[in-house]
Amino acid sequence: MPEPTITLDVFRYRPDEDERSTFQSYDVPYHEHWVILDALNWIKDHVDGTLSYRWSCRMGVCGSCGMMINGDPKLTCAAFLKDYFPATIRIEPLANFPVERDLVIVMDDFMSKLTSVKPWMIRDDTSPMEEELLQSPSQLAAYKQFSMCINCLLCYAACPELDSDPDFLGPAAIALAHRYNLDSRDQGTAERQDILGAEEGVWGCAFIGECTEVCPKNVDPAGAIQQAKVAVTKDWYKRMLLPWGKR
Amino acid sequence: MSHLTKTNEAFWWSLFSAGGVMAALFLPVMIFVTGFVLPFMMGEDVESQQDRMVSLVTFWPVRLALFGIIFLSSFHCAHRIRHVLMDFGLRWAGVALMICCYGAAAGGAVAAGLILVRL
Repeated sequence: MPEPTITLDVFRYRPDEDERSTFQSYDVPYHEHWVILDALNWIKDHVDGTLSYRWSCRMGVCGSCGMMINGDPKLTCAAFLKDYFPATIRIEPLANFPVERDLVIVMDDFMSKLTSVKPWMIRDDTSPMEEELLQSPSQLAAYKQFSMCINCLLCYAACPELDSDPDFLGPAAIALAHRYNLDSRDQGTAERQDILGAEEGVWGCAFIGECTEVCPKNVDPAGAIQQAKVAVTKDWYKRMLLPWGKR
Repeated sequence: MSHLTKTNEAFWWSLFSAGGVMAALFLPVMIFVTGFVLPFMMGEDVESQQDRMVSLVTFWPVRLALFGIIFLSSFHCAHRIRHVLMDFGLRWAGVALMICCYGAAAGGAVAAGLILVRL
C-alpha cells in the first residue's frame, strides 16, 4: 500500500526572480504525528532547498513559525497535519505584514512599535539596588498572563483594525506595555501613557477580539487593551480636571 | 513609531463605556419594570395607569435617572455607529463623522430632556 500523502499549497515569492507571488504545490508524506512545520522541513530537506521560512524551537516557545494556515494565523509547530488531512493545506506568510521572501515577513514595523512602548522595567532611581523588589502573589497575578506573550505576531495577522489602519500600535505591543504598567516594581507608566493614549494607541482597537482568539499562549490582548483604555481615560480626566496634579 | 496623533477619544470612550452599562443593564430593567411589571400591577384602567405613570416619571429623581439612561445610551450608540462607519472606510471623514454621530446623540438627549422637563 503506497504511503499516504498530503498536498501543501505554499506561497512563494523570491524578489530576485519573481515579479509577483505564486503558489507552489508539494506532495508531502502524511504522518499523523507530524505538524505543518515538519512538512515544511521535509520539503526543504528533500524537494526544494530554496523555500524560506522562520522557525526555531518546534515547541511553541520561540514564536518564530507563525503563518497563515488556510487563512488562519497559527504556529506551524502546533498545527497538526491530521487536523487537515486529506484536504490540501494552503500556507501563506502572516497577514498584515510585508513579505521579505516566501513565508518570511518583514518585522521592522512591529519592532519599532514594540520598542516605542518601552516594554521593560523602568525605575526612577537607576542606581544599583540594595534590596530585592519583592512582590506578593496577587501583585504577580495582576500582570503574569500578559507576560506570557512570545511575540509570535499571530494577533497582528488576525487583527482587522491593523488591516484598515497600519499605524495602529497593535495587540502585542499594547499588552506588553500594559504588562509593565501593571507590575508593582515598574515606575514607567507616565512614559508609556502618551503613546498608549494616542490615536494610534489603544483607540485604534474596536474590541473585535480576534487577537485573543488566535493567541497560542492564552494571553488576552483584547482584555489588556480594554484595561489600558480605562487607565488612559482616568489619566485623561486627571489631566483635564486636575492639570496641576501629577499623573 | 514615527508619529503620534493626540486625541480626546478618552472622553468619547468614557461616554460610550458608561452608556454600554446603561444600555446593557439599566435599559432592559427599565423597559421590563415600566413596560410590564407596573402596568400589570396597576390594574386594567388605562387612564389611571397613564396618570400614575406620569406621576412616577415627574418625580425628579426618576426624571434624572431616565435622562441619564437616555443620554448615555445615545452616546453609546453614536460612538459605535461612528466606529462602524470608520471601519467601512469613512476614516477620512473624521471630524464630520464625529459631528454627525455625537450631534445626533446630543440632539436626541436634549429632546428627551425637554420632554421629561415638560411632563
